[in-house]
Amino acid sequence: MKPSFLHQQALQLQYNPRETQRPPNLGINRGSLAVVQLEFVAWRRCHTRPDQSIKMKRKVAALEKVDADLPALQYRIRRDPKSYAQEFFDQFLAYDAQKQIFLSAPATASSEDVKKFHDLVDMIAHVADCYPDVTGQFAEDLKALITQHHATLHPELREKVVGSLSLLKKKEIIDSTSLLTTLFPILVSTPSKSLRALLFQKILSDLREANSKSINHRLNRTMQTVLHNLVSSDRSSPKAIWAVKLTREMWKRQLWTDAKPVDVMKEACLADNEKVIVGGVRFFLGGDKEREELEDESSDDEAVDLKQVKHQVGINKKSKKREKAYKKAVEKVKRQERKKHQPHPLNFSALHLLHDPQGFAEQLFQKHLQNTKSKLALENKLLVLQLVTRLVGLHKLTVISLYSWFTKYLTPKQANVTSFLASLAQGTHSLVPPDAVEPLIVKIANEFVSEASASEVAAAGINAIREICVRQPLAMSETLLQDLVQYRKSKDKGVMMAAKGLLSLYREVGAELLKKKDRGKDATMGIRSGDIQQLKYGEEEVATGIEGLELLAKWKEEQKKRKRAEREANGELKEGEEKDDDEDSFNESDWEVESVESDDSGGWINVDHSDDEDEKPAAKKAKRDDSEAPDLVDADKENDEEEKEDPAAEAERLVKLATTTILTPADLAKLAELRMEANINKAMGNTNKHQKALAARHTDDGLTAEQIELPAKLRKTTKEERLELARAGKPNRDEHKSTQAIKRSKKDAEGKSTTNKEKARKKNFLMTIGKAKAKNKRSLTETRRVLKGHVERSKRGGRRGNIGM
Amino acid sequence: MGSSNRKKREKAKDFKKTKLKVGKGKPQASNFTDTSFKSKAIVVNQQSLQADAPDPVEQFKHNLSLASSSRSDTQRKEALAYLTTQLSHQPPNNPVGTSAILTKLLPLITDAYTSVRQQLLKLFRALPPAEVRPDVEKALMYVRAGLTHLSADIRSDALNVMEWLLDAASEEVVSCPGGWMKTLNSFSAMLGWNYSIGTATGSQGWTMASKATLGATKGGFLQARAITLLARFLQAGFKPDATVAYNPQAYWDNIYRLPRRSNPFAYLNLFGPARDEEGEMYPDRESRQRVFHSKWNKSITKGLSEAKQEGGAVGRAASLLDQTLSDGMGNFRGESGL
Repeated sequence: MKPSFLHQQALQLQYNPRETQRPPNLGINRGSLAVVQLEFVAWRRCHTRPDQSIKMKRKVAALEKVDADLPALQYRIRRDPKSYAQEFFDQFLAYDAQKQIFLSAPATASSEDVKKFHDLVDMIAHVADCYPDVTGQFAEDLKALITQHHATLHPELREKVVGSLSLLKKKEIIDSTSLLTTLFPILVSTPSKSLRALLFQKILSDLREANSKSINHRLNRTMQTVLHNLVSSDRSSPKAIWAVKLTREMWKRQLWTDAKPVDVMKEACLADNEKVIVGGVRFFLGGDKEREELEDESSDDEAVDLKQVKHQVGINKKSKKREKAYKKAVEKVKRQERKKHQPHPLNFSALHLLHDPQGFAEQLFQKHLQNTKSKLALENKLLVLQLVTRLVGLHKLTVISLYSWFTKYLTPKQANVTSFLASLAQGTHSLVPPDAVEPLIVKIANEFVSEASASEVAAAGINAIREICVRQPLAMSETLLQDLVQYRKSKDKGVMMAAKGLLSLYREVGAELLKKKDRGKDATMGIRSGDIQQLKYGEEEVATGIEGLELLAKWKEEQKKRKRAEREANGELKEGEEKDDDEDSFNESDWEVESVESDDSGGWINVDHSDDEDEKPAAKKAKRDDSEAPDLVDADKENDEEEKEDPAAEAERLVKLATTTILTPADLAKLAELRMEANINKAMGNTNKHQKALAARHTDDGLTAEQIELPAKLRKTTKEERLELARAGKPNRDEHKSTQAIKRSKKDAEGKSTTNKEKARKKNFLMTIGKAKAKNKRSLTETRRVLKGHVERSKRGGRRGNIGM
Repeated sequence: MGSSNRKKREKAKDFKKTKLKVGKGKPQASNFTDTSFKSKAIVVNQQSLQADAPDPVEQFKHNLSLASSSRSDTQRKEALAYLTTQLSHQPPNNPVGTSAILTKLLPLITDAYTSVRQQLLKLFRALPPAEVRPDVEKALMYVRAGLTHLSADIRSDALNVMEWLLDAASEEVVSCPGGWMKTLNSFSAMLGWNYSIGTATGSQGWTMASKATLGATKGGFLQARAITLLARFLQAGFKPDATVAYNPQAYWDNIYRLPRRSNPFAYLNLFGPARDEEGEMYPDRESRQRVFHSKWNKSITKGLSEAKQEGGAVGRAASLLDQTLSDGMGNFRGESGL
């Protein structure tokens, strides 16, 4: 019931007190208690002495003041919009009047006016959805207000308007597009830092929310177009930084994953403003990593231990709260499960989504690096350089002038020279003409690698050369290589390792360039047999069949042998049976990757079963079966007998194998594993951590300066550093005390009690002396009893024992 | 044992009552700090001691700023009282000008304290009406804010200010931008005679009684007062335009002489934000009648008939309003009459 209605009753009472002599009904409801009190006061006033009524009057004024606050009205409107329509309309008019006052002088409005307006805006925004007819213009008003006056508005009011607009969006009175098109221009143009932060956060959360249930393609497209226009319309303006920030955030959260945001970033890289350029370049260099990290974080956060929760529910007192917590935990686990089974979203890295990488790399290089007028700071230049070389290396682009540009930076005195070296290596690939890189290698060798130069410098130089030659081995000349390889006798460990790395590289890729004594056994034999042949420029290794298939075949065969041996040992082998168990078994679980660890039945499925029937048991396996589809069981026989057969036939056999058998997912997983293992083994005879990491490095990842500098770190740390390391993480101690004493004093400071042991240690000597003397006088039996008692007590867990535990 | 005894004693000491001895002062508390000091001279840094009283102009300005911005209500009231006496001198002592006073003090219409508002009204009445006229539009904004305020007391005091405005500058009140439509809006909101609420809530139940907000606390008295003031307002609005005697110079004056009024081209609205229908100015009687007829006639007539039935003060006020309406709108022929 509305208070105003009650008031009417009260008024009637006041008018003709003779008619009603009893107080009005007080038990109407609790909500209108204050009002009822008012009425009661009115009634009393008619029937009491004047001095009393004065006292009452003061009370009335106090009550009314409490009544006149907007939050209370807002609360009531929320509860019963229809009944309070009149009040709301009044307040809407008040808002209108206050708006007029405010708009007459928005810059110089008094703080009180601002406060009133602020409160009214707040109230109306909160209940606007109840009266859509009256408040139709409200959102437009706010938009106009913030758009026109955002620079001069009072900060609090400004924040309130922005907050109200997003509230209206939440109530679906305005849509995302109109909100974003209002806020974004302000974000770009406002000079206030706090407002920018607020707007950015609002825009971002709105975009996220719009994309939370399903991707809102239309909104994204609009927004991306706006951002693209912002970046590409005025290249020199710093406003584009907001486009960069927004895009990066959206990319990080995997809401935008297509080519359009990448295009925005591409335009940002080609801008004239340094901040924008750096923002764009950093996105390409680190955006994908950031995205992955965020994903990892979100996936492994707070794993719920369902068992523990269930156990606790069983033990603890049952309550609704606990029950709810349990349900929540179950829900969460289910959600995580579902998430785990969801197909992984195919997200391409930004570098792969670029349209015309060649054009982009050329433009970047010409605009920011080659152009002498470009004013980028060195570190930013390095970032751009990293991006350019990364693109060149990844997409195998040809930017010939890039290599000659490097020449002047390749001196040990150049700042950040290792980054330059890393970039150079990164920008080299097998399709770069060796003529373009060779002078650079020579320059590096001359500048960095000499007996006179510092060992770190020499190591970095050799490392850089190695990294370049990994990518383009043809760029190395024979004399230079032989010269460099001799550094493996160096006394410095870093230089020595770097030189050895170079040596082992060339044993693989170009053993002819090495001196005969340096070639090593494998290379020498390979050259003699013609196995190892250096690839010519532009020549590619043609993949035949499935890479690593022979490895898988070998592994299967080993497995089979092992099994057979086991069975023979157990005497279980029976004729005919073995086939069913072993080769033919085509069970469902093979299709699951997890089901095959390393011991299970082979996943090879023979499509052609014609030879299975007349296959002989293992005992007679020496007999050669000339079936047209050779299966794996035959492989070992072939190995035995046809060692001398030419490799061409072997390759053909493998191809045939690949075309006539079906590989299960389990096989493929194993194949990948084996291939990786083989790679590592092949690359390094003795594998250490660093080299393993090198082999596992993804081709998409760039080369960093640390990898060039790495051997420099092998130098032992100085004494100070080691001391620092040892001291790190330990409490600071001024005086030399025992650890126990330190602990004790800390406990004392915290006001904690002592242990029994400590009490015993501190006990006054005179108090213990009697017992000590008595101990000496014990008889043997007494001593035994005491000792027994001690043992028993310690078993029981003290004098009181562990009863009830 | 010894050490623990000592500790016990030390602990117990805190709770022992100190014995008071005759002839000796109270023992000092352990945390006593001696704050006495000696000095040869006292230097007061921030106070300027002046032999003569401050300049009256300064005093006036000081009081003006006190009245508009002091946190204490009594201080505000007293400052207003001071200003009122200054203004009611003959000749009035007003160094800052009426416009500046109004700009500063108009926000006080919605002040939370009754005493301040009453004093404010007294001050307003002391202002010369001719100087109020240019600022009527601004004053009306604050009055409208007061008329729709949540608190009933403020609403009733805003009515008093409205009355003063009508006394001082009735013509400007009805013809300034927003003065006609918006003020009517506020009046009808006060009286609960609202044409737009029914459509807003989607239903028109019996609870939509006429005395929705205003009549509630102060009763029929305030409603009657609001109706009377509405009648006065309408009277001002429907007053027949005075026929200007023929002036042969008028044409040339219009072209070559500087206008004497402030902001003579206000109707063109060259610099302000665009106005909507409600904020528009209605400078002549006919346009006011037209708007009133299309927007208000129906709801006011309906509310009026209800109010008339109540009898008493409200009824009397309603019949006055009725009289005003029939006088003002009697010769209006609707859209076709134009």
